[in-house]
Amino acid sequence: MISKVERTVNYVVLTILAVVVLFPVGTFVVAALSPDRSGKPVGVGDFAWGNFSTAWHDAGFARAMTVSMIIAVCVVAGQVLLALLGGYAFGVLGVVGDKVLFPIVLLGMMISLEAIIVPLYYQFRTFGLTNTLPGIILVHLGMGVPFGIFWMRAAFRALPRSAFESAELDGAGALRMLRSMAAPMARPAIYTLILLSFMWTWNDYFLSLVFLHGENQTATVALGVFQGRYVTQINLMAAGGLIVAAPVLVLYVAFQRKFISGMLAGAIKE
Amino acid sequence: MVVTARPATPAETRDADVRRRPLRRRTRWIGLGFAALPLAVYGLVVLVPLAQSVQYSFYKWDGVSASTFVGLDNYRSFVTDPVLRSTLGHVLVLIGFFALLPIVLGLLSAALLTRAKQPGMAVYRWIFFLPQVMTSVVIALVFKRIYAPDGPLNTALRAVGLDSLAKTWLGDFTWALPALGLIGTWVTFGFCMVLFISGTSAIAPELYEAARIDGAGPVREFFAVTLPGLRGQLAVALTLTITAALRTFDLVWITTHGGPGTSTLTPAVALYKAAFQNPQVGLAAAIGVVMAALCLVIAVVITRVSERD
Repeated sequence: MISKVERTVNYVVLTILAVVVLFPVGTFVVAALSPDRSGKPVGVGDFAWGNFSTAWHDAGFARAMTVSMIIAVCVVAGQVLLALLGGYAFGVLGVVGDKVLFPIVLLGMMISLEAIIVPLYYQFRTFGLTNTLPGIILVHLGMGVPFGIFWMRAAFRALPRSAFESAELDGAGALRMLRSMAAPMARPAIYTLILLSFMWTWNDYFLSLVFLHGENQTATVALGVFQGRYVTQINLMAAGGLIVAAPVLVLYVAFQRKFISGMLAGAIKE
Repeated sequence: MVVTARPATPAETRDADVRRRPLRRRTRWIGLGFAALPLAVYGLVVLVPLAQSVQYSFYKWDGVSASTFVGLDNYRSFVTDPVLRSTLGHVLVLIGFFALLPIVLGLLSAALLTRAKQPGMAVYRWIFFLPQVMTSVVIALVFKRIYAPDGPLNTALRAVGLDSLAKTWLGDFTWALPALGLIGTWVTFGFCMVLFISGTSAIAPELYEAARIDGAGPVREFFAVTLPGLRGQLAVALTLTITAALRTFDLVWITTHGGPGTSTLTPAVALYKAAFQNPQVGLAAAIGVVMAALCLVIAVVITRVSERD
């Protein structure tokens, strides 16, 4: 139904736009592999793979990546748990006062970190929670609750009502119903939540910059410090950048469909 | 604005259940029990600090010594302090690059690309979405290099004999802000495009046929069918990109720190400096409150307009 000409035009347009997106990333990858400090492109045979290990050691990424990974894993696990509880309550059980509570939860998706960061920092300082991993994990979790509840509530409500009714007739309690039926049935939504939550936590810069210092700094903040020190060594800076970007990029390659559909669906929410 | 499948309202189902089993009424209290933990964490981390932000914003405090009540003085700074006032102007410029440009580009490409499914589309979508999943720090580094004095952009300009145009893009009082803005364009346009393309494919083909029978050309077709059909997606794209422009921090902090001078200072950078560098905590809180209020107003206005008639 569409002509060959039209099809060709489509591909030309798409390809031009794709090149616009890929070109900056491409020059960065090339720079990361260059033996030259200025990141001059070189042939495949001269690729300096050693840049990655040099950057890794010089920036102390081992420590920073571990910190980032600990934070991300804890936040993902915690956020899924909170989202399951909240989503199940608001979507299936009903909650006393949900006419007031649910809009308040939704409001949270519009509250940006900037609006709360100042008191958060000074209050947490009073309790000795700044520059600690539990402190920043708690902040990530609180910020993630609105989206988590919104997301899992929609997923649970999309499940067939009849399944809940028959489980209830069998005398299953609320908790058992969540564990053995609702959560397993909503697995695709949970996987998407895991991916998005991991990406958001890993990619965070602002919160980590404010809350964590020195030994506790995350990979993104460590990269920021690293690039400030190695302004003249573009190749190492680029290699460091790729190391920090790698975990999310690997997930994106493996689960692209979930990422894209999740982010589009998540965007429509607001 | 919440788009979810809605088989039956909870009230309906509940009523039916209550009639069948009186015990069902209790689930709403059990539900509150389930929701208690997430709600507590949310309240502690988001709602309480939000209220405190408003409270802080009425005080002058350096973060250490005693604070003094100053009323609306911190908010007045947006008018009286030319540097702080300029951040709002910078946001307007950034909105042009983060929101308007990507949306126009996204609409153009969505209109240009026919609605038929083509093989290979998944690969393109992967590419267009790539900037969305990349860490902002890495994006900043990628472009810091592109804009560097001896970076690819200047090299290209010199190669075609435009040496006079080559400059330190991010160190230039005039060009630093637009250069930062273009990074935002690069980040958001793929997202807008994928959003619009998926939106156009949901428009009923009959509408296009009807327009063609009426003798509409591609331009009329775009304004009569495509644009109205994308109203929901447009609202989403506008809200997300405008708030992103308003909240820009990472990109600026890593590339220019708000400089040269204060030519790329954004409200978020001003907030960070006021909160943690030379503490004027009350002022920082006021900036945060103003940013949150602006985000909220923008979202509400865009939704209202997009849902009208």
